[in-house]
Amino acid sequence: MVFTSDEDLAIANEYSALGYIIRPNADKDAYKWIQQSTARVAANALNIGKPSDDEKFLNEIHNLVKPSALNDFRLKVIQGLNALPEFRLMYFRLAKPYLEAIVGNELAMQQRINLSIQMPNDSSSLLPVHADTWSGDSPFEVVVWLPLVNCFGTKAMYLLPPTESAKFSDDFSARGGSSSESIFESIKNEVKWLEVKSGQVLVFDQSLPHGNRLNNESETRWSMNCRFKGVFTPYGDKKPGEFFEPITLRPASKRGMSYTLPKIS
Amino acid sequence: MNKLRGYIFARPFMGERAPQHVQNIILRDYCNKKGFELLLAATEYAMPDSSMILESVLDDLDSVDGIVFYSLYQLPTSTTQRQSVYSRVLASGKSLHFAVEGMSIAKQDDVDSVEQCLLVKATLDNCVSEVEV
Repeated sequence: MVFTSDEDLAIANEYSALGYIIRPNADKDAYKWIQQSTARVAANALNIGKPSDDEKFLNEIHNLVKPSALNDFRLKVIQGLNALPEFRLMYFRLAKPYLEAIVGNELAMQQRINLSIQMPNDSSSLLPVHADTWSGDSPFEVVVWLPLVNCFGTKAMYLLPPTESAKFSDDFSARGGSSSESIFESIKNEVKWLEVKSGQVLVFDQSLPHGNRLNNESETRWSMNCRFKGVFTPYGDKKPGEFFEPITLRPASKRGMSYTLPKIS
Repeated sequence: MNKLRGYIFARPFMGERAPQHVQNIILRDYCNKKGFELLLAATEYAMPDSSMILESVLDDLDSVDGIVFYSLYQLPTSTTQRQSVYSRVLASGKSLHFAVEGMSIAKQDDVDSVEQCLLVKATLDNCVSEVEV
């Protein structure tokens, strides 16, 4: 028996079939806040004034930052953003209804949101093919991936769909220790490139192999990613407190966790 | 400045465990103190007994001066596999470093100290840990 609403069921079925969903940001004000805050923190890191067009500024950041200075710049921006008290709440609001349909309503959220900046033709920030579970993430986790600019072509990320991923997994011992490049070569015709526009959010299954390639487009990619899971589902190598934090514990769970039976002696 | 490839674990090792970000902090601290440049750490797969990532790091030895492990207890548990790691690294004129223990292997004579620590640790797991008097 399934009591899920038709809307939630549609999201759940699409996620199960494809390994991801792409939807409009569930809270447009939260998205505006994140995009604007990112542009402001980035401008501040470069000692320049507030940009007049946030998205254009982000898309063209390669005109202001050299590839050799990119990682330090990226760290300054993400540290600046993670220091803003509202940041994680805003991020959660972007995907709340989708997370509730896919994961549940008692959630744990990654403590520090990640930022990826991929400038045109820059090979220093590539993310080789991987599944997060191979590095200790629990298969109960999903990633909320937020583009701050339009992501298309090689400016986007790719994902190996569930059916192809299952075949890859069966053959893992033969292919998993090879170089990332040879793994990618063996799956490049099967991966799906995910076009996600500014104003949309992607929720994907991080246990499916994914990554990015050299950005051959003329604009810089800015994207954020953050993991969510059911608070009472099994944890992998990334534990509550050191990587995850419960964000929506309900009263019955709080009561249950502190309850003790009456003493009888 | 000599470049070391970091190597950390995504699973417990010989009864020990450390969060990945803590492992990275220890690697950075070791390299800062010893004057090495730390290259982004490779994370070993979470699957039990996997050393597939270590193998791919060894395949790429030409591009680095050595490998820095978070701990020597992350070496492969099989003696044959460990000997193969030591000989590949030493034959290439490179070095192995173990950040927590502050130990390193740059020549054949250094292998013994590391092996002794490993064997003692493995044996202690089978010894009584407490004696009631």
